[in-house]
Amino acid sequence: MKAPVLLCALALLAGCQGKAPANSVQGDPERGRLALAQHACRACHMIPGLTGPETHVGRSLVDLAERRFIAGSLPNNQDSLVRWIRNPQSVDPQTAMPNLGVSERDALDMSAWLLTAR
Amino acid sequence: MPSTRNRLILKTAAATLALAGLAAAVTGFVVLRAGWYDTTATSQHLQPVYTVLELGMRYSVRNHSSEVKVPPLGAPQQVMRGAALYSAHCAECHGGPGFAQSKIGQSMQPVPGPLVDASARWQPRELYWITKHGIKMSGMPAWQFHLSEADLWAVVAFMGVLPTLSAHDYARVTAGANGPSALATGAAR
Repeated sequence: MKAPVLLCALALLAGCQGKAPANSVQGDPERGRLALAQHACRACHMIPGLTGPETHVGRSLVDLAERRFIAGSLPNNQDSLVRWIRNPQSVDPQTAMPNLGVSERDALDMSAWLLTAR
Repeated sequence: MPSTRNRLILKTAAATLALAGLAAAVTGFVVLRAGWYDTTATSQHLQPVYTVLELGMRYSVRNHSSEVKVPPLGAPQQVMRGAALYSAHCAECHGGPGFAQSKIGQSMQPVPGPLVDASARWQPRELYWITKHGIKMSGMPAWQFHLSEADLWAVVAFMGVLPTLSAHDYARVTAGANGPSALATGAAR
Protein backbone atom coordinates (compact mmCIF):
# COMPACT_ATOMS: atom_id res chain seq x y z
CA MET A 1 0.00 0.00 0.00
CA LYS A 2 2.82 2.38 0.93
CA ALA A 3 4.96 1.81 -2.15
CA PRO A 4 2.41 3.11 -4.73
CA VAL A 5 1.77 6.21 -2.60
CA LEU A 6 5.50 6.86 -2.38
CA LEU A 7 5.87 6.38 -6.12
CA CYS A 8 3.05 8.82 -6.78
CA ALA A 9 4.67 11.37 -4.48
CA LEU A 10 8.00 10.94 -6.27
CA ALA A 11 6.34 11.35 -9.64
CA LEU A 12 4.67 14.55 -8.43
CA LEU A 13 7.97 15.88 -7.11
CA ALA A 14 9.66 15.10 -10.41
CA GLY A 15 6.95 17.11 -12.12
CA CYS A 16 7.80 20.10 -9.94
CA GLN A 17 11.33 20.39 -11.27
CA GLY A 18 12.26 22.99 -13.82
CA LYS A 19 10.20 25.84 -15.11
CA ALA A 20 6.50 26.37 -15.51
CA PRO A 21 5.09 23.68 -17.77
CA ALA A 22 5.40 24.65 -21.42
CA ASN A 23 1.64 24.37 -21.98
CA SER A 24 1.05 27.37 -19.69
CA VAL A 25 3.06 29.58 -22.06
CA GLN A 26 1.06 31.10 -24.89
CA GLY A 27 2.37 32.05 -28.30
CA ASP A 28 4.84 30.61 -30.78
CA PRO A 29 8.36 30.45 -29.30
CA GLU A 30 10.13 29.83 -32.62
CA ARG A 31 8.45 32.82 -34.24
CA GLY A 32 9.35 34.74 -31.09
CA ARG A 33 13.02 33.89 -31.56
CA LEU A 34 12.91 35.45 -35.01
CA ALA A 35 10.95 38.46 -33.74
CA LEU A 36 13.61 39.04 -31.07
CA ALA A 37 16.31 39.05 -33.75
CA GLN A 38 14.32 41.33 -36.06
CA HIS A 39 13.68 43.89 -33.33
CA ALA A 40 17.42 44.08 -32.59
CA CYS A 41 17.00 42.79 -29.02
CA ARG A 42 20.30 40.97 -29.44
CA ALA A 43 22.09 44.30 -29.98
CA CYS A 44 21.88 44.95 -26.22
CA HIS A 45 20.92 41.61 -24.63
CA MET A 46 22.45 38.15 -24.61
CA ILE A 47 19.59 35.85 -25.66
CA PRO A 48 19.57 32.04 -25.87
CA GLY A 49 19.39 30.81 -29.46
CA LEU A 50 20.46 34.13 -31.00
CA THR A 51 23.90 34.83 -32.41
CA GLY A 52 25.72 38.09 -31.81
CA PRO A 53 28.45 39.97 -29.99
CA GLU A 54 29.10 39.69 -26.29
CA THR A 55 27.18 42.67 -24.99
CA HIS A 56 26.32 44.01 -21.56
CA VAL A 57 24.36 47.13 -22.48
CA GLY A 58 21.14 45.41 -21.43
CA ARG A 59 20.71 42.55 -18.98
CA SER A 60 21.43 39.03 -20.15
CA LEU A 61 18.16 37.24 -20.84
CA VAL A 62 19.72 33.80 -20.75
CA ASP A 63 18.23 32.89 -17.37
CA LEU A 64 15.07 34.99 -17.65
CA ALA A 65 12.70 32.13 -16.89
CA GLU A 66 14.39 31.54 -13.52
CA ARG A 67 13.87 35.06 -12.26
CA ARG A 68 11.14 36.01 -9.80
CA PHE A 69 10.93 39.63 -10.93
CA ILE A 70 11.54 41.43 -14.18
CA ALA A 71 12.26 45.13 -14.72
CA GLY A 72 12.93 45.41 -10.98
CA SER A 73 9.32 45.34 -9.87
CA LEU A 74 7.05 43.16 -12.02
CA PRO A 75 6.40 39.54 -11.06
CA ASN A 76 7.95 37.35 -13.73
CA ASN A 77 5.07 36.03 -15.79
CA GLN A 78 4.11 36.21 -19.41
CA ASP A 79 1.67 39.11 -19.00
CA SER A 80 4.31 41.25 -17.28
CA LEU A 81 6.87 40.38 -19.90
CA VAL A 82 4.57 41.36 -22.76
CA ARG A 83 3.76 44.63 -21.01
CA TRP A 84 7.46 45.38 -20.41
CA ILE A 85 8.50 44.53 -23.98
CA ARG A 86 5.76 46.63 -25.54
CA ASN A 87 6.11 49.72 -23.35
CA PRO A 88 9.06 49.73 -20.94
CA GLN A 89 8.48 53.37 -19.94
CA SER A 90 5.03 52.52 -18.58
CA VAL A 91 6.76 50.29 -16.02
CA ASP A 92 9.91 52.33 -15.39
CA PRO A 93 9.98 55.87 -16.82
CA GLN A 94 13.76 56.06 -16.27
CA THR A 95 14.67 52.86 -18.08
CA ALA A 96 17.22 53.00 -20.89
CA MET A 97 15.32 50.29 -22.76
CA PRO A 98 13.62 51.91 -25.72
CA ASN A 99 10.07 51.39 -26.89
CA LEU A 100 10.51 49.44 -30.13
CA GLY A 101 6.92 49.50 -31.27
CA VAL A 102 6.49 45.76 -30.80
CA SER A 103 3.04 44.41 -31.65
CA GLU A 104 0.99 42.39 -29.15
CA ARG A 105 1.48 39.19 -31.13
CA ASP A 106 5.24 39.69 -31.53
CA ALA A 107 5.63 40.46 -27.82
CA LEU A 108 3.66 37.35 -26.88
CA ASP A 109 5.81 35.17 -29.12
CA MET A 110 9.01 36.82 -27.85
CA SER A 111 8.00 36.17 -24.26
CA ALA A 112 7.18 32.56 -25.17
CA TRP A 113 10.74 32.07 -26.44
CA LEU A 114 12.34 33.84 -23.48
CA LEU A 115 10.33 31.77 -20.98
CA THR A 116 10.98 28.42 -22.63
CA ALA A 117 14.42 28.65 -24.26
CA ARG A 118 17.31 27.00 -22.49
CA MET B 1 68.00 9.28 -52.92
CA PRO B 2 65.15 8.02 -50.72
CA SER B 3 64.49 4.30 -50.62
CA THR B 4 61.69 2.84 -52.73
CA ARG B 5 59.57 2.46 -49.63
CA ASN B 6 59.95 6.11 -48.60
CA ARG B 7 59.19 7.27 -52.13
CA LEU B 8 55.98 5.24 -52.07
CA ILE B 9 54.96 6.83 -48.75
CA LEU B 10 55.64 10.34 -50.10
CA LYS B 11 53.74 9.62 -53.32
CA THR B 12 50.76 8.25 -51.39
CA ALA B 13 50.72 11.27 -49.08
CA ALA B 14 50.90 13.71 -52.02
CA ALA B 15 48.16 11.89 -53.93
CA THR B 16 45.92 11.80 -50.82
CA LEU B 17 46.36 15.54 -50.25
CA ALA B 18 45.64 16.31 -53.90
CA LEU B 19 42.51 14.15 -53.90
CA ALA B 20 41.26 15.64 -50.61
CA GLY B 21 41.80 19.14 -51.99
CA LEU B 22 39.94 18.27 -55.17
CA ALA B 23 37.05 16.74 -53.21
CA ALA B 24 36.83 19.87 -51.04
CA ALA B 25 36.84 22.15 -54.09
CA VAL B 26 34.12 20.10 -55.81
CA THR B 27 32.00 20.06 -52.63
CA GLY B 28 32.43 23.81 -52.23
CA PHE B 29 31.45 24.42 -55.83
CA VAL B 30 28.34 22.23 -55.55
CA VAL B 31 27.19 23.98 -52.34
CA LEU B 32 27.80 27.38 -53.95
CA ARG B 33 26.21 26.59 -57.31
CA ALA B 34 23.18 24.78 -55.86
CA GLY B 35 22.42 27.83 -53.69
CA TRP B 36 22.26 25.81 -50.48
CA TYR B 37 23.84 28.55 -48.41
CA ASP B 38 21.15 30.76 -46.85
CA THR B 39 21.92 34.45 -47.44
CA THR B 40 18.73 35.83 -45.84
CA ALA B 41 18.99 38.45 -43.10
CA THR B 42 16.58 36.38 -41.02
CA SER B 43 19.12 33.56 -40.74
CA GLN B 44 22.12 33.98 -38.51
CA HIS B 45 25.72 32.93 -38.56
CA LEU B 46 26.64 30.13 -36.21
CA GLN B 47 28.00 31.65 -33.02
CA PRO B 48 31.58 30.37 -33.61
CA VAL B 49 31.56 31.86 -37.13
CA TYR B 50 30.21 35.16 -35.81
CA THR B 51 32.79 35.22 -33.03
CA VAL B 52 35.70 34.57 -35.40
CA LEU B 53 34.51 37.21 -37.88
CA GLU B 54 34.08 39.75 -35.10
CA LEU B 55 37.49 38.92 -33.68
CA GLY B 56 39.04 39.34 -37.14
CA MET B 57 37.36 42.72 -37.44
CA ARG B 58 38.71 43.83 -34.06
CA TYR B 59 42.28 42.80 -34.92
CA SER B 60 42.03 44.41 -38.34
CA VAL B 61 40.81 47.72 -36.93
CA ARG B 62 43.45 47.66 -34.20
CA ASN B 63 46.20 46.98 -36.73
CA HIS B 64 45.12 49.46 -39.39
CA SER B 65 44.41 52.31 -36.98
CA SER B 66 47.65 52.00 -35.04
CA GLU B 67 49.33 54.91 -36.85
CA VAL B 68 46.40 57.33 -36.57
CA LYS B 69 47.26 60.60 -34.81
CA VAL B 70 44.50 61.58 -32.43
CA PRO B 71 43.76 65.32 -32.18
CA PRO B 72 42.54 66.92 -28.95
CA LEU B 73 39.01 65.68 -28.28
CA GLY B 74 36.17 66.88 -26.10
CA ALA B 75 35.95 70.65 -26.61
CA PRO B 76 32.28 71.62 -26.16
CA GLN B 77 31.93 73.01 -29.67
CA GLN B 78 33.38 69.84 -31.14
CA VAL B 79 31.11 67.60 -29.10
CA MET B 80 28.05 69.65 -30.02
CA ARG B 81 28.99 69.31 -33.69
CA GLY B 82 29.41 65.57 -33.14
CA ALA B 83 25.97 65.38 -31.50
CA ALA B 84 24.35 66.96 -34.54
CA LEU B 85 26.19 64.58 -36.89
CA TYR B 86 25.36 61.58 -34.74
CA SER B 87 21.71 62.49 -34.74
CA ALA B 88 21.72 62.99 -38.51
CA HIS B 89 23.78 59.99 -39.63
CA CYS B 90 24.34 57.42 -36.86
CA ALA B 91 21.15 57.25 -34.81
CA GLU B 92 19.06 55.68 -37.55
CA CYS B 93 21.00 52.42 -37.35
CA HIS B 94 22.55 52.60 -33.86
CA GLY B 95 19.86 54.31 -31.79
CA GLY B 96 20.79 56.49 -28.84
CA PRO B 97 19.90 57.23 -25.21
CA GLY B 98 16.24 56.33 -24.71
CA PHE B 99 15.46 55.34 -28.28
CA ALA B 100 16.16 52.38 -30.53
CA GLN B 101 17.44 52.32 -34.08
CA SER B 102 14.87 52.70 -36.86
CA LYS B 103 13.31 49.68 -38.54
CA ILE B 104 16.17 49.59 -41.06
CA GLY B 105 18.75 49.30 -38.29
CA GLN B 106 16.71 46.79 -36.31
CA SER B 107 16.48 44.22 -39.06
CA MET B 108 20.02 44.32 -40.41
CA GLN B 109 22.21 41.24 -40.11
CA PRO B 110 24.57 41.65 -38.33
CA VAL B 111 22.53 44.02 -36.19
CA PRO B 112 24.21 47.41 -35.60
CA GLY B 113 24.89 47.60 -31.88
CA PRO B 114 24.28 50.52 -29.56
CA LEU B 115 27.17 53.01 -29.38
CA VAL B 116 26.68 53.87 -25.73
CA ASP B 117 29.46 51.39 -24.90
CA ALA B 118 31.57 52.10 -28.01
CA SER B 119 34.10 54.29 -26.19
CA ALA B 120 34.57 51.54 -23.60
CA ARG B 121 35.18 48.92 -26.29
CA TRP B 122 37.35 50.94 -28.68
CA GLN B 123 40.15 53.50 -28.62
CA PRO B 124 39.34 56.90 -30.17
CA ARG B 125 41.66 56.20 -33.12
CA GLU B 126 39.80 52.93 -33.74
CA LEU B 127 36.39 54.63 -33.65
CA TYR B 128 37.76 57.18 -36.12
CA TRP B 129 39.02 54.41 -38.37
CA ILE B 130 35.71 52.51 -38.33
CA THR B 131 33.68 55.67 -38.96
CA LYS B 132 35.97 56.77 -41.78
CA HIS B 133 36.36 53.44 -43.56
CA GLY B 134 33.28 51.47 -42.58
CA ILE B 135 33.17 47.67 -42.15
CA LYS B 136 32.95 45.45 -45.18
CA MET B 137 29.85 43.20 -45.51
CA SER B 138 28.38 44.51 -42.27
CA GLY B 139 26.30 47.40 -43.56
CA MET B 140 28.53 49.94 -41.81
CA PRO B 141 29.22 52.58 -44.45
CA ALA B 142 32.48 54.47 -44.91
CA TRP B 143 32.09 58.19 -44.19
CA GLN B 144 35.43 59.28 -45.65
CA PHE B 145 33.86 60.96 -48.68
CA HIS B 146 30.82 62.31 -46.83
CA LEU B 147 32.29 63.87 -43.69
CA SER B 148 35.31 66.14 -43.30
CA GLU B 149 38.25 65.12 -41.08
CA ALA B 150 37.07 67.55 -38.41
CA ASP B 151 33.57 66.10 -38.54
CA LEU B 152 34.84 62.50 -38.28
CA TRP B 153 36.69 63.46 -35.10
CA ALA B 154 33.66 65.35 -33.83
CA VAL B 155 31.63 62.14 -34.07
CA VAL B 156 34.37 60.28 -32.18
CA ALA B 157 34.42 63.00 -29.52
CA PHE B 158 30.65 62.76 -29.14
CA MET B 159 30.80 58.98 -28.70
CA GLY B 160 33.09 59.62 -25.73
CA VAL B 161 30.38 61.73 -24.10
CA LEU B 162 27.44 59.50 -25.11
CA PRO B 163 27.54 57.21 -22.02
CA THR B 164 27.04 60.22 -19.74
CA LEU B 165 23.87 61.39 -21.45
CA SER B 166 20.35 60.55 -20.32
CA ALA B 167 17.55 60.48 -22.86
CA HIS B 168 16.67 64.01 -21.78
CA ASP B 169 20.28 65.25 -22.15
CA TYR B 170 20.54 63.68 -25.58
CA ALA B 171 17.36 65.34 -26.77
CA ARG B 172 18.72 68.68 -25.55
CA VAL B 173 22.19 68.47 -27.12
CA THR B 174 20.95 67.18 -30.45
CA ALA B 175 18.31 69.89 -30.58
CA GLY B 176 21.13 72.34 -29.88
CA ALA B 177 18.67 74.46 -27.92
CA ASN B 178 21.03 75.62 -25.21
CA GLY B 179 24.30 75.45 -27.09
CA PRO B 180 27.46 74.06 -25.50
CA SER B 181 26.24 74.75 -21.97
CA ALA B 182 23.55 72.08 -22.38
CA LEU B 183 26.31 69.56 -22.86
CA ALA B 184 28.32 70.57 -19.82
CA THR B 185 25.50 69.57 -17.47
CA GLY B 186 25.16 66.22 -19.20
CA ALA B 187 28.88 65.49 -19.24
CA ALA B 188 29.27 66.47 -15.60
CA ARG B 189 27.28 63.47 -14.34
